[in-house]
Amino acid sequence: MRYSFLDQFSDLDSFIHRLDPRTKLVSCLAFILAIVLTPPGRWQVFLGYFSLLLILIIISKVPVFYVLKRSLVILPFVVLVSLFIPFFKEGEVAGSYNLWLWQVSVTYTGLAILGNVVTKAWLCVLGLILLSATTGITDLLKGLEGLGIPRVIVLILSFMYRYIFVVVDEAMWMRQAWHSRSFGNKGLRQIKTLGNIIGSLFVRSYERGERVYVAMLARGFDGKVRTLHSLTFRKADFYCGGLWFILLVVTGVFLW
Amino acid sequence: MHIPDGFINVPTVVVTSAVSAGAIAYGVSRANRRLGEKHVPLMGVMAAFIFAAQMLNFPVAGGTSGHVLGAALAAILLGPWVGVLIMACVFIVQCLIFQDGGLTALGANILNMGIIACFVGYYLYQGVVSFWGERRRSQLVAAFLGAWLSIVAAAAATAIELAVSGTSPLAVALPAMAGVHVLIGIGEGLVTAAVISLVMTTRADLLQLERV
Repeated sequence: MRYSFLDQFSDLDSFIHRLDPRTKLVSCLAFILAIVLTPPGRWQVFLGYFSLLLILIIISKVPVFYVLKRSLVILPFVVLVSLFIPFFKEGEVAGSYNLWLWQVSVTYTGLAILGNVVTKAWLCVLGLILLSATTGITDLLKGLEGLGIPRVIVLILSFMYRYIFVVVDEAMWMRQAWHSRSFGNKGLRQIKTLGNIIGSLFVRSYERGERVYVAMLARGFDGKVRTLHSLTFRKADFYCGGLWFILLVVTGVFLW
Repeated sequence: MHIPDGFINVPTVVVTSAVSAGAIAYGVSRANRRLGEKHVPLMGVMAAFIFAAQMLNFPVAGGTSGHVLGAALAAILLGPWVGVLIMACVFIVQCLIFQDGGLTALGANILNMGIIACFVGYYLYQGVVSFWGERRRSQLVAAFLGAWLSIVAAAAATAIELAVSGTSPLAVALPAMAGVHVLIGIGEGLVTAAVISLVMTTRADLLQLERV
């Protein structure tokens, strides 16, 4: 399997890539909180935040096209929610259509709510894409631990990361075997096959989990995990984090 | 069903995050007590398993495809609290690495598709099995019903959170979300029942594990 499918571009070298993961995590969270807290309809504030993030994306050397393409990930949910928009009955009507038996009318209130949430969701997703494209997963996990996420959760996440490649590979082999044997296999039979695949994947994964544990025991595992900490919070992190926070506040306050 | 950032408002974010954080903390201490130090590698691998199972798409009518959520499956096989922990790890990775679901909406996503889905799925399964007995057929029907209701309940919770946040009116969102997922849940139920059937045939001992 292609090793980089999880954290593509995180091995580039740029000023952003070199920052401490904790700085990046907190800055990303601050950015998302700033956007979520902005009241609806303040388009100039959203534009300000977008420009700030665009500058960071350009500094980070991550291709802008890649970031934009990845941001389409929010589309399914947006489509799902936008189905409800015609049913806002209050407010001025922007247009109405006759659908078979229904008189459907789209109001400005409904459209404004949709526009607001979609803009917010899109900006936040851009921030998260920048975070994952500039931070390797091991660093991200160390950063999470440094920020007070319980040790056990970080450990489970790091085991998950280690075995995702193995388990996904197994799943893909079985899927390939399934597809090459099941030409025209449709409906319930297909569900049955998929159930068998996921079932054997479960049995194999469970046995693998036990084997891993036994192997760890054999090497002296006593429930504690000791790691060499290599996170360093440098001056650059301090200034960058501070500057980013000030810029967010200034943009929010002055463009209000 | 992954809620992105911006779709739910700040009070909803605070409440759902607090509930999810509390459930995870309790789940960790419970798994620690029941499974000992074994639980860390086991749950890591099982989270990777759910992640991989979600990548297996199957074609549904009209050119669309679906995949399983796996919350009910994890809860039935390993117990509801372990299920919550595994699903939470899957959502954390999906949020931070695939941007699937927002960072501020992480608590809400864990609550809907982790906590609610696992507990609804597990207790409906247990209820049906204890009502109808441990026969193979009753276990399969129980797995189907549990997985189906877990999807519908998660969708209903999502609709309620969106309505509380003022993103969509409850009178429309709840029936629409629940209605769509009544159909989607059928796929989840059938696949879950098929998985339980295979595990029962090949490794029935895995179904006798202590569930946490």
